[in-house]
This record gives sequence, C-alpha cells and structure tokens, in this order.
Amino acid sequence: MKKLLFIAASLALLIPVAALFAAGTQESGGAAASAEIAVIVKTGNSSFWQNVQTGCFDAQKELKALTPKLSVTFLGAQSESNVNEEINIVESAIDRSVKAIVLAPSDVTALVPVVKKAKDAGIPVVVIDSLLLGDKSNYVSFLATNNDAAGRACAKALIDLVKAKTGKDEGKIAVMSYVAGVGSEIGRVGGFKDYIAKNSKLEIVTTQDSNADMPTALNQTTNVLAANTDLVGIFGANEPTAIGMGRAISQAGLSGKIVAIGFDGNSVLQGFIKDGTLQAIAVQSSYNMGYMGVKTAYDAAIAKKKVPAEVDTGFIIVTKDNIDSTPAKNVLY
Amino acid sequence: MIDTTTKRADGHGLEVTARSGRSGKALDKMITFGAVIVLFAVFSITAKNFFTMRSILTLALQTSTTTLMGIGVTFAIITGGIDLSIGSVIALSGTVAVMSAIAGVPIWISMLIGLLVGVACGLANGLLITRLKLPPFIATLGMMMVARGIALTITNANAWPAPESFGALGNNTIFRIGSQFPGISYPVLIMIAVAFIFHFILKRTRIGRYTYAVGSNEEAARLSGIKVHRVKIVNYVFCALLAGLVGIILASRMVTSQPNSAIGYELNAIAAAVIGGKSLMGGVGTVGGTVIGSFIIGILTVGLTMQGANYFMQQIVIGLVVIGAVAFDQLRSRK
Repeated sequence: MKKLLFIAASLALLIPVAALFAAGTQESGGAAASAEIAVIVKTGNSSFWQNVQTGCFDAQKELKALTPKLSVTFLGAQSESNVNEEINIVESAIDRSVKAIVLAPSDVTALVPVVKKAKDAGIPVVVIDSLLLGDKSNYVSFLATNNDAAGRACAKALIDLVKAKTGKDEGKIAVMSYVAGVGSEIGRVGGFKDYIAKNSKLEIVTTQDSNADMPTALNQTTNVLAANTDLVGIFGANEPTAIGMGRAISQAGLSGKIVAIGFDGNSVLQGFIKDGTLQAIAVQSSYNMGYMGVKTAYDAAIAKKKVPAEVDTGFIIVTKDNIDSTPAKNVLY
Repeated sequence: MIDTTTKRADGHGLEVTARSGRSGKALDKMITFGAVIVLFAVFSITAKNFFTMRSILTLALQTSTTTLMGIGVTFAIITGGIDLSIGSVIALSGTVAVMSAIAGVPIWISMLIGLLVGVACGLANGLLITRLKLPPFIATLGMMMVARGIALTITNANAWPAPESFGALGNNTIFRIGSQFPGISYPVLIMIAVAFIFHFILKRTRIGRYTYAVGSNEEAARLSGIKVHRVKIVNYVFCALLAGLVGIILASRMVTSQPNSAIGYELNAIAAAVIGGKSLMGGVGTVGGTVIGSFIIGILTVGLTMQGANYFMQQIVIGLVVIGAVAFDQLRSRK
C-alpha cells in the first residue's frame, strides 16, 4: 500500500512536468503544422549550435510574413559522435513529410543513404557546416565555413606570429584536434597541416584528439607542454578543445610565451584573446549557417527558386587588435 | 540482539570475500603494484620529461579525478550495483556550483551547493533502486540523462566563465618551494584524504562491513537483520558525493562551467575499479585496489600522450589492460 502510494505520488509529480516539456516543444516546434522545415544539427548541446539555432529562428520570423503556416523545428543528437541518433532524427523527419531539411551531418559518409532517401521522397536537403560525401545531387545546397580555408588561415596566423616572435619559421608545434574523421575536422586540421608543411619549416610533433571534452583537452595540452618544453606554437581546433588548451597554457605560466591559436569564439575564448593567452581565434559565422540555411531551404522547397550549390558562410580571424571591431562583434557569441 | 546476528552475517560476508582473495591476496596486491612500477619505469625511459618532479605532480593531479570517481563507484560495485550517472553528476554539480558563483554566492558556499546537488542525485538513485526496485543499471541510466539535461538547461548549453577565485581549489598548490618544487595541488591532497577516509569506512566501520555483506549475499544480509535498503542508499550517496566533488574540482580547474564535459567518465571509473580487482558480481573490492587501478590508467594516459601517441592508441591500450587485468584475476581465482 505504502509502495503504491509512493508510485502514485511520483507519477502525479512527473505528469505535469512531462506535460510542461511537451508544451514547450510544441511552442517552438509545432510539428503538426503543414509547412515544416526541419533543422537537424549534430547536437543541441553547445553554444555554437545554439547560435545556429538563433539564426534559424530569426529566418523563420522573417519568412512567416510570406508563409504564415511555416514552422522551423530544431533538433540534434545527444552528442556530436552519436551518428546513429542523427540518422534516426532525419528518418523521422522524412516520415512526417517535412517540406525541407537543413542538415549538419556528423559524419561524412554515414548520413549519405538517409539524405538520398529524403531526395527520393521529394524533400530537398540543405547541408550546413560539415561536408557530406557521395553524389552531390543528393542535396540542393551546401553552406559552410570553408574549413580548409579557415585551417589555412590559422596556420598562416601561427607562422606569422612565430616569425614575429623568433625571427624564423622553424621549431616544434602541436595540434590539439577534437573528433578525428568528421568533415569539418578533415578540412580544418588537414588544411592547417598542409599549409604548415608547404609554407614553413615548423615541425608538428604531435596531434591529439580531445573528443571535444574540455578536461581531456586540458590534460592533453598540459602533458604535451611538459613533454615538449621547446614548443613554439599550438593550435586548438574547436571550442572546448581551445578552452582546455588555453587553461593549460595559462596554468603552465606560458601565456604569451608560446603562440597559441584557437577556433570558435565564445566568451571564454574572447577572454583568452584579451588576456593574451591565445593570440588569435578563427570564428565561424554559425549564426549565418542557421539563417542562410533556413532561407535556402525555403527558397528551394516553398518559393521554388533556384539556389546556389555552394555558399561560403565565412569566418574571421579575431585578435586582440580587432576584437572590438564591428565585423568581429557580428560573429562572436 | 541485533549486534549478535549482524556479527554472524559479517563473519559470513567476510568469509566469502576472504575465500576468493586469501589464496594470494598479498601476492595480487604485489603484482598490481608491481605493474604500476613497471609502467612507470617504461615511460620514464621512453617518454621525454616523464620522469621529472613536475610531471609526477601533474600525473597525480590528472589522476586524482579518476581516483575519486573510482572510489565512489567501488561502493556501488561492492553491493553488486553500478552507477552510470557519474559523468552527468560531475557536469551537473560543476555547473550548479559555477552558476551559483556567477550569481554572486560566495565561492565556498557555491561549491557546497554543488556537492549537495551531487548528494541529492545519489539519494534519488538510492531511493529508485531500493524503494521502486529498479535495477541499478536502469535507475542510474535515467539519472545520467536527467542530470545531463538539467546541466544543459541551466547553462543553456553554454560554457560560462567562473569568477577567477573559483579556480583556487583546482589550480593552487601548497608546499611550493620557489621554482625547484612546484608544490602539491589541492585535488591531490583531497584524493589522499578521501582515499584514507573511505578505506577506513569500508574496513573499520559497520556500514563498510554491511556493504560487503549485502554484496556477498543480499538475502542472508537481510535475514540477519541488516537494513539492506539503508546500506544501499548510503553507498549511492557516497558515489554521487564523490562525483560531485570531482565536478567541483574539474569546474575549478577549468574556471568554467561546461555542461558537455565528463561524458562517459563513469566508464573510466568502472575501468579503474575493475583493474583494481572489483568483481561486478559484488562482494569484493578495496579502496586501495581502486587507487592502484586509477594510477595504472593515469600513467598510461599521461605516458602515451607525452610519447606523442594519439587518442586511438590510448583507447586500445587501456581497453586491453582492462581485459587483461580481469582475465588474469579470473585465471588466478579458478586455481
């Protein structure tokens, strides 16, 4: 009896909470509406993707004036490495016959079959952020930071700063990467390494993958700095990795003593630029990816316009000198 | 009256553990400890700068979090349970502490709040397992998702910078002597203190003896008058309390709240406990074994990183060590 009461009480507590959540998703989602654009990203769990979401909902606000029935849903997997979950989310979007899908694929090949399935079902797919391999006709448009170009720009910034500091372009550097093998990483870290190899005598002594986990990046950087006391430069290739790297550098008392370049631009990284722990960060316009992604999907699916096959959403190298300028402020979050 | 019956249960519980261990308990300890020494020697020779005072202190600092989690999960494992919510509880208590500090709560009180959040998660786990009779795997799996979700909600999935003084616990050291000796980090001292306290609890107090008894034979423990539910709840609270402590230490080391951090850390903790000689069947295990297990993982991780080996290689090596350690244990106990 006591147990039954307990169960009843806990259910009674749970139901209103669940109802509240359901109401919440209805408000922002409205999956039942007839003109749905589904935005499916790698994960909802980071400020980068939150910024993409802001862009999506701003586009929705503008487009609602043209198509009142329009609704934009924003979905993502638990974590960036959870590829299967993302595939399931895309499949369920196809099943409820959305008008268009905006997709940030978490794997370059794994999402190809399901994107083809969407195309066969007559649903145009706009790919954002990360590369998708396979037949290019499977999707209508690809909007992303040119990660290869951004990686090269980071490499150039690192070489220039090392030169300015030591007068020559040689010495040891380390690459702190995140999840090996995703499209953005292949372009970004690949471009970085290629530029370094072709344009300097710098030697990459190690490449570590933090799994996009900040404490792991902190520990790895601490160990790399300890093992290589003669390191002249280091590159942290995404947001949590660059933050962990920055903490390790400042805790080792090396702020400003080695050249450190980060990627992405939340408030913690901006702090590192201001206090001189990091010399430069490459900031992508994640807002633009969401905003332009939804607009492109709308053009292709609802306005039936022709859309460009590839759009560069842009990035900017932010340093202490330009951090307060308007172009930098537009991309920082 | 209760005392006499429990003593019998203790005798029974201890007998069970002793039988599987006595054959070579001292020898086993020597072997695992020997493995630590050998690993240490190998990396000292092969990895540059590994054998320096600074690196050894860094190793202790980086291993302290695995050790604390491992000690916590040891309690859950001895009772035959498991705690999958450790990583999420780390993230939740860390973010709650940082967000409180940002809101203007004094640093040490905000850290206390973080710890209490951990305790609350453990209490919920314990109640779900004992009152609602949920299998520990399911109850803590649910908690894993709920705690992560709350951490993401209160931070809006953002990394928030904490006030600078929040970083003192994780980054300051004592006994620093100029540039010769960089000092011992607070987390290392916390690890040592916690290891001694929980070793004492497990070996010298009634709750410790009951923990072994419940893990060896729950029904026998119940029949001899042990309040099995209460023992289990206390064990899950211990586990979550230490996870909360790790959350605060990590948040302090980052000086940042990171709702996405520590995903899957419970598996490191379980690996440390298993290498240190726990059986997932329950009834067996010591705090000392877990500390050694954590240091085996820690030395491998730090050593391989300093050698320049990548993350994939580290995963392969640590995975093989987990399998090897347990296989070795099985072979020994079969004799």
